[in-house]
Amino acid sequence: MSTSESFEALHRANPRSNTGFAKTVDSVQAQISTAEAVPVHPAGRRRAGLVRLAAVGTALAVAAGVAALTVRSPGGGPGVDDAAAVVNKAAAVTANAAERSGTAAVRITHDGELWAGSTIRWYDGDLSVSRDAPDRRGRAGAHLLLVSGTLYGFEEGHWVIFGDPANIDPGSGTTPDEYVAAVREDVGGMTLRRIAGRVTGLTVTRPGNGSTVYQGKIAAGVIARETGFKDGEAIRVLPFGYVAHDEAANGSALLDVAVTVGADGVVRQISVSWGTWDYTVTYGSLGSASALAAPKNARDLVKERLRAVGRG
Amino acid sequence: MSTRERKRRFDALFASYGSDIVAYCTWRSGSTSDAQDAAADVFLTAWRRLDEVPEGDAARVWLYATARRVLANQRRSSRRRQALHERLAAEEASGAAEQQSPDETLVHEALRLLPAIDREVLLLAEWEGLSPAQIAAVLGCRRVTARGRLHRARRRFRMAFEELRDGQRRPTSIQVSQRRIHEHV
Repeated sequence: MSTSESFEALHRANPRSNTGFAKTVDSVQAQISTAEAVPVHPAGRRRAGLVRLAAVGTALAVAAGVAALTVRSPGGGPGVDDAAAVVNKAAAVTANAAERSGTAAVRITHDGELWAGSTIRWYDGDLSVSRDAPDRRGRAGAHLLLVSGTLYGFEEGHWVIFGDPANIDPGSGTTPDEYVAAVREDVGGMTLRRIAGRVTGLTVTRPGNGSTVYQGKIAAGVIARETGFKDGEAIRVLPFGYVAHDEAANGSALLDVAVTVGADGVVRQISVSWGTWDYTVTYGSLGSASALAAPKNARDLVKERLRAVGRG
Repeated sequence: MSTRERKRRFDALFASYGSDIVAYCTWRSGSTSDAQDAAADVFLTAWRRLDEVPEGDAARVWLYATARRVLANQRRSSRRRQALHERLAAEEASGAAEQQSPDETLVHEALRLLPAIDREVLLLAEWEGLSPAQIAAVLGCRRVTARGRLHRARRRFRMAFEELRDGQRRPTSIQVSQRRIHEHV
């Protein structure tokens, strides 16, 4: 048994995984609703029912050959508690597999067109982020590398040594620390546990390739965490550092979420959709990604600048 | 804020964080009925003081901190009915014994062996998903203190779990319910 198994066991013991936890939450809501001092709007309950019906409709519409199980069915079968527990367990298994290394491909599409995307690869404390979609200046490709505590950037066809990641101006975009924190939060299972704990209207589908897809609705605030303020507006950031917008920027808006778990119990993909936007994180090579190497012939800008002013 | 706006905000608050607060109250109070009462109290407080509840994720931290105070009050008042409490705990322990897996028993026993503050910090991080900064806000301590406590709690939990698993430390009871563990939190 590895050291991390004590934490896997701890995560499995989370009271959210207990059978009946959802009922306890419902009871609290009912308790508050019946208190005269707090006349909770009954629309919340009606809305939840409609969401479940909508989820059933979606599941029924899935093409033939796809097994669809609607949770909370009176005839038994996997219930919402079971499904949430499975996602929780998958989060723990994934966290364990991804502890040392892995890749995560992030894609944002708008109306089916790739709008932004990057691939994040990590190995121990090292990290690389490559842009898979052209940025506003038409550039794509590797743009950030952190190896043995030194940060490198790819600029105008050359690798450049930026030095200590702490030197990066936090106002200039996602910092290496933020990327590392996002990776740790995502692959450490925290994001998945948040999803498992708060998804509603959960349905389970099996596409036939051995994987299982858990779909439901989730409040945007659960998946897009508030990280600060800009121009008086809260900034919410999706997993792996993309700023949320439109409905996703509204913490209470309900978004569609899907978690795909492979036959081995490891999470393969997290998908969040709102309006015409789709946001997908696909995991790969968990525990088996190769080590990162510092780029050869990287230019040291500091030395070059010192040399230019005659001090190098 | 109009009544309709208050209701809308309150509903959104419960939809976003209701299950978090119920989970927190469950592991802190130990019995489902106490947890329900505490969680309901937290949201009643939130309703009464809605104008003071911060926006965004800060609301979550505010709710945890409120839950912590509600549970402390609940515990103080419950001392008067301690005999009943203990009898119920024993009954629940025997019921829980049938449901817990060996791993869960180890987890609960290892948690019980931790100092109360370590246990709380650890579970706020591992079960509630709070960052050290958020834990610091809930506990009312400095961020660096929360970070240090969390590091220590993780190490102690791992050691306690492994010692129990390897038989180097005897469990103090064969089966321990969450109620009995978290009475010490």
